[in-house]
Amino acid sequence: MGSSTKKKKEKAKDFQKPKFKVGKAKAKPSNFTDTSFKAKSIVMGQQNLSTEAPETSAQFRHSLSLASNSRSEKQRKEALANLTTQVASGNNPVGTATLLARLLPLISDPCGPVRTQLLKLFRQLPGDEVRNHAERCIMYVRAGMTHLSVDISNDALSALEWLLDVAEDEIVSCPGGWAKTLSSFCALMGWSVSATGGWSAAPKGGSLKTKDAQSRVRQLAILAKFLTAGLEAEAVATRNPNAHWDGMYRVPRVPQPFAYLNLFGSRRDEEAEMYIDNESRQRVFGRRFLILFSRGVEHTKKEGGAVGRSASALEQSLKDGMAGFEPSSAVDPQDLLDLW
Amino acid sequence: MGKRKVGALEKVDIDLATLQYKIRRDPKSYEDNFLQQWGQYESQREVFLVSPATATHEYTKSFHDLVDLIAHVSDCYREHAQSFPDDLKAILLQHHEVLHPELREKMVGSLVLLKRKDVIDSSRLLTTLFPILVSSPSKSLRALLFQKIVGDLRNSNSKSTNHPLNRTIQTVLFNLVTGDRTSPKAIWAVKLTRELWKRQIWTDAKTVEVMKEACLSDNEKVVAGATRFFLGGDKEREELEDESSDDEAIDLQKMKHQLGINKKSKKKAHAYRKAVGKLHKQERAKSKPHPLNFSAFHLLHDPQGFAEQLFQKHLQNTSRSNRLNLENKLLVLQLVTRLVGLHKLTVVPLYSWFVKYLTPRQESVTSVLASLAQATHNLVPPDCLEPLVQKIANEFVSEAAAAEVAAAGLNAIREICARQPLAMQDTLLQDLVQYRKSKDKGVMMAAKGLLSLYREVAAEMLAKKDRGKDATMGLRSGEVKQRRFGEEEAGGIEGLELLEKWKEEQRKLKRAEKGLPEDGGEKKEEGGGEEVEDDGFNSSDWDVESVDSDDSGGWIAVSHSEDEEEEESKPAPKKRKTKGGKEDEDDSEDEDEDEEDAKLDAEIQRISKLATTTILTPADLQKLQELRMEARLSQTLGGSKNRAQRKLEEALARHAEDGLTAEQIEAPAKLRKTTKEERVAMAKENKPDRNEHKSTQAIRRSKNAAEGKSTSNKEKARQKNFLMTLNKAKQKQKRSLVQTRNVLRGHLDRAKRGGRRGNNG
Repeated sequence: MGSSTKKKKEKAKDFQKPKFKVGKAKAKPSNFTDTSFKAKSIVMGQQNLSTEAPETSAQFRHSLSLASNSRSEKQRKEALANLTTQVASGNNPVGTATLLARLLPLISDPCGPVRTQLLKLFRQLPGDEVRNHAERCIMYVRAGMTHLSVDISNDALSALEWLLDVAEDEIVSCPGGWAKTLSSFCALMGWSVSATGGWSAAPKGGSLKTKDAQSRVRQLAILAKFLTAGLEAEAVATRNPNAHWDGMYRVPRVPQPFAYLNLFGSRRDEEAEMYIDNESRQRVFGRRFLILFSRGVEHTKKEGGAVGRSASALEQSLKDGMAGFEPSSAVDPQDLLDLW
Repeated sequence: MGKRKVGALEKVDIDLATLQYKIRRDPKSYEDNFLQQWGQYESQREVFLVSPATATHEYTKSFHDLVDLIAHVSDCYREHAQSFPDDLKAILLQHHEVLHPELREKMVGSLVLLKRKDVIDSSRLLTTLFPILVSSPSKSLRALLFQKIVGDLRNSNSKSTNHPLNRTIQTVLFNLVTGDRTSPKAIWAVKLTRELWKRQIWTDAKTVEVMKEACLSDNEKVVAGATRFFLGGDKEREELEDESSDDEAIDLQKMKHQLGINKKSKKKAHAYRKAVGKLHKQERAKSKPHPLNFSAFHLLHDPQGFAEQLFQKHLQNTSRSNRLNLENKLLVLQLVTRLVGLHKLTVVPLYSWFVKYLTPRQESVTSVLASLAQATHNLVPPDCLEPLVQKIANEFVSEAAAAEVAAAGLNAIREICARQPLAMQDTLLQDLVQYRKSKDKGVMMAAKGLLSLYREVAAEMLAKKDRGKDATMGLRSGEVKQRRFGEEEAGGIEGLELLEKWKEEQRKLKRAEKGLPEDGGEKKEEGGGEEVEDDGFNSSDWDVESVDSDDSGGWIAVSHSEDEEEEESKPAPKKRKTKGGKEDEDDSEDEDEDEEDAKLDAEIQRISKLATTTILTPADLQKLQELRMEARLSQTLGGSKNRAQRKLEEALARHAEDGLTAEQIEAPAKLRKTTKEERVAMAKENKPDRNEHKSTQAIRRSKNAAEGKSTSNKEKARQKNFLMTLNKAKQKQKRSLVQTRNVLRGHLDRAKRGGRRGNNG
């Protein structure tokens, strides 16, 4: 009899329902060690016994890839800092072109420290090598300038300042460099639309960005610099007696010497056109931007203070730039092109 | 410096979603912001176009967001964002293969959005999307594009048919199909057309023309798709319609009931009203005439040419390059034969082509047999068919062949001969009919089918003993005649004589009401010509409802003008003349026959008079329908005089509409509805698993134990330890009568109460 009850109990045990508790298990303490498993030996996945550090070029490449691809902003920033020191010490195994291609998108990086570090890096790059990539650089700068965030557009302006320092002529004469950048400025300053009367919910001045005076001053200053670069008469090149023969027999020393012919690209419109000499730039400016700019400047001058002062500086540079310009009565080739 | 006060708007670092919201509320004030974003978009696009494939994730993301914003607000700034649709179009067309999938989808979505906002029109959208659909290697993109294209076509045809758009797209599809016959891209034309046909958006001849061209393509997939469309497209359409019509059955009664019980609220009352409205709408839709949908077969131009081309290209042509596999070949064969059968085409080489496929060893031979039967109609020369019937008989129907084979062969022969009875020779027929004595049920039934068929159509070909009573009598009286090749039965309006009779009766009744003699009126009318009839016709009998109420006014009774009347009355005298001529000829024959003939002629004359001298009004037609139904009913009740014939007619009508399938040829082979395996499975169902041999009780017990259930009281009592029961058993013997009575009473009481813990105290 005793054995039968025991058996019964044993059997019954199999059919007992376990009682589950509601909710989470109690949290483990922070110093908890999982001892539920035992192992006789520990196997490492990979082991490297060499004591030498990787060589510098590999390191450079690694930090370059980190800077352009890493998701963590801290890592990006540190990689950029590393690159900066390397470049400053004259060590650049990949070349300026590759470096620029990888790093230019960082101009609109959402993280502020990364952008400042990027500018530091750009300042270290050799100017004459940057000059050849002006078109690509100004493209990314424009994208940064019109960015929704004020900080990014300010930093993009700093990048533009750097470009103006190192490659003044190339910036204003590359395809799209003049007209497109100017219209970006228009959009940035909020000058592109004539102010309309009537009630509106939009903040006065038309922009949703915070209009702190400092960044306004900065924008105006850089615009003035850009205009000066574009409109001032170039220094007359010293006459080269061999120029004729060089043109005939020597291989040109600049990249894309015939870019203005646009032999292989798509057809350019007025905005994307190259404006090589300051006269053509003046013409375009006079036709499309002069009215907008002078109205904007007038408006800004009335604000007074630092902003007003820099506005008058801008007005001055406008006046200087357009001094020698007289609108020609001759038929503009662009109009003909438009007709066609 | 003190803290500067900032407005609420200035404080937030604005994001694109907020901007979009603000722009949509007040586009004029935010124009500047839009222009800034537009500039951003332009510069980003520029950057993006330098290397669309290798753009970083962030760049793609921000570009994606910008495109989204501009697509949503571009209808507010049409002059600024003029180039936006073109930009999107260019990017998509050039780079759709390398774009990031999300960005790609966003661009497609944006284009559709622009279409919805009427920034671009449908044809521009579709001409952008369609080339991508055709050329994209990405499956997900193609699915998206297909969905968008169908959706857009549906939307633009929803209110009224958008003919120009449909024409444009159909032309595009047509060019795609005919441009390069070998390319597999035409499959998209087929898919699109089929989908739109199914949804009844495209129902015209041009659609069918596209599919026709697709059928003649060199690509096997395209051919198969288009052929399936012809064979099953209409059925698909009907199924879709059925689905959509019976999805929501509203139970109004239930709703009303619930409304009485539950709390009354405005919302519920509104829902009820809406449901009532919907129900009314459904009912109205039901009573509306069915939209006229021609099947694809009937919309074909030049079916003869099509059938010939199909046959030559895919069946007769045996060049190795574009030979279809058997399955698709059978599909094409079905299509060709459907065309031949339906339109009564003549494709003579088709029949000799069949010869090599008519062996029992041929794969899916029943389908071939069905196709052959389908291709037969009464205008096929019997010379073409005779060898085929002979071959089927030789190959399939013999004592040596398996029963299923023989049955299939006999069925095929019967189906062929039902369409063209002249394809049979009497010796062969008499041979085949012998199989009705077969032991296999399938063969027996098939042979009987053949026999009953020939009793109807050509009894003299049967042996005398097989003809049966009706046929023999018919033959003797000359009533049953074999139809000759190409002979058609003279058509008439079925049941017209019934209508005539009914009208006569009505007239008699009317006259009786007026108190006039019935017969006299009739004579007078016959003498008086048609004007009396016309009077009756002009009055209230025109409309269907006006039989009951006179001024419903749905139809306007237009009175006959004189010349119309003349025109109408002209044919009748002519006929009479010819009949008269015939009578003259018949004069030389016997007198009684002459009398019969005269009677018959008179009747024919009267019928033709009714059909040719009066216009049958809708009311008349309705009455005709009723009379026909009545007659049919009484016939079925009255006896089975013509049942077999009617069956045959029904069967033939079915074939003409639906075509023949292999199952109908095989059908008797499947007389047993279930296979042995199915039957075994059915028997095993709901039976416990018997791994070891156990009693049912034991199995049940173990099942209960496994479910954690306890045993029954009975079981417990049985398993109780013997020693424990011993004492009680001893006492039971010694109980007095009173004790026993009490025990029994207690038992009864408990039984009434429902146990010791009974439920009523």
